Amino acid sequence: MSTKIHPDQIYINGLAKNDSAIIQTIYKKFVPKVVHYVKNNSGDENRAQDVIQEIMILLFNQAKANTLQLTCPFDAYFFLLCKRKWLNEIKKSSNKGVTIDEEKLSIDESTEQMVAETEMFNEKQQLFDLMFEKLGDKCQELLKLSFAIKSMEEVAEKLNVTYGYVRKKKSLCVGQLTQWIQETNRYKSLKIT
Amino acid sequence: MSEENYIVFDQYLANELSAEEKANFEKQLSQDQEFAASFAIFKELNLHLENKFGNKEELNAFKKNIKSISKKHFKVKKSKVISFKPWQYAIAASVAILMGMFFFQNINPSFDDYNNPENAYFTERSSVNENLKLAEVAFNAKKYKEAIPYFETILKENKSPEIQYFYAVSLLENNQYQKAETNLAEIKSGTSVYKNKANWYLALSKLKQKEYKSCKEILLTIPDDFEDYDQVQQLLNELD
Repeated sequence: MSTKIHPDQIYINGLAKNDSAIIQTIYKKFVPKVVHYVKNNSGDENRAQDVIQEIMILLFNQAKANTLQLTCPFDAYFFLLCKRKWLNEIKKSSNKGVTIDEEKLSIDESTEQMVAETEMFNEKQQLFDLMFEKLGDKCQELLKLSFAIKSMEEVAEKLNVTYGYVRKKKSLCVGQLTQWIQETNRYKSLKIT
Repeated sequence: MSEENYIVFDQYLANELSAEEKANFEKQLSQDQEFAASFAIFKELNLHLENKFGNKEELNAFKKNIKSISKKHFKVKKSKVISFKPWQYAIAASVAILMGMFFFQNINPSFDDYNNPENAYFTERSSVNENLKLAEVAFNAKKYKEAIPYFETILKENKSPEIQYFYAVSLLENNQYQKAETNLAEIKSGTSVYKNKANWYLALSKLKQKEYKSCKEILLTIPDDFEDYDQVQQLLNELD
């Protein structure tokens, strides 16, 4: 399957570079539509602002992880992400009836796929973070240091242990996470089938 | 997976295995599904942690930047949009579409978008002056051509930045650019409360003449404590 990168990839690259001019352009060109949608669906400008910021941070993270290659227009992709996030939020927070102004958007396949990928990325991140919180303090500290400092010799020095120990410990801490995540995956697939 | 496996995973990612060990590892990857699945997660976790802790400062800088851009964006918008009801949106949208149909070729911002001269209130202070009253009425009725000679008479007798400002705006409305700009420049170099307003109208004069570059240059000199600074910013954004 050929996946052609859309020229709107400039917005993704701009976000990854924290380029203010690009971010301002996104606000000017694409944000008003989202605000309009949220306001028309039981929200207000402040709530819209939060949704937009969260989606921007998600895109930043995904772009930084180098897994965000846009194959559809940014406009549709960004709007759909924000819209779905907002709908999730109102579903979560209210049990009374909410008015949802369901306009029939024609969403093409590549946009839908892009959105699904980003949402999957988000879910994974959340799962990884959740599991990380389950780790013991020692593991957490060691991993934080290892990935922030990079040089394992320095990490060993900082923690006042040997190089061999930190290397082994790091492998096992990530190993523990790996195991938990596999168990979760199994659990999930059991639930689905 | 055993502890040993995780240690090898890490060594493989750090490229520390000997050629032979590496070959064995890759062979196992291709043959053992569970082994491969575990390794895939292990690898992804490494990327995640690297992103999370290795780029923490970048992420914080990004969050800060987004917050400030968002704040500015919504501040500018708020002054323009005053609690629309859904049906008003519908009207606004159809008006916008209509305007778009008429002006779709006109991408640049126009003078009319920003030209909102305030009303003049001269006569409370000196109700005796006939010309002041006439100038005020004409100006507020947007009959600028009529107002100009009244202003000129007043200025001959008693020159004040306030009258000069309204005079200059009238000139500009009447397309007498050079005269308008001379007067605005004079107010701008003074110290009156009309200083920033004059500068703003100087920019609008350039806008009306479609001199976008000089318009932008003037806008950039207006300090952000100017009362209509949101308009300044909006115009700057549109000019970009």
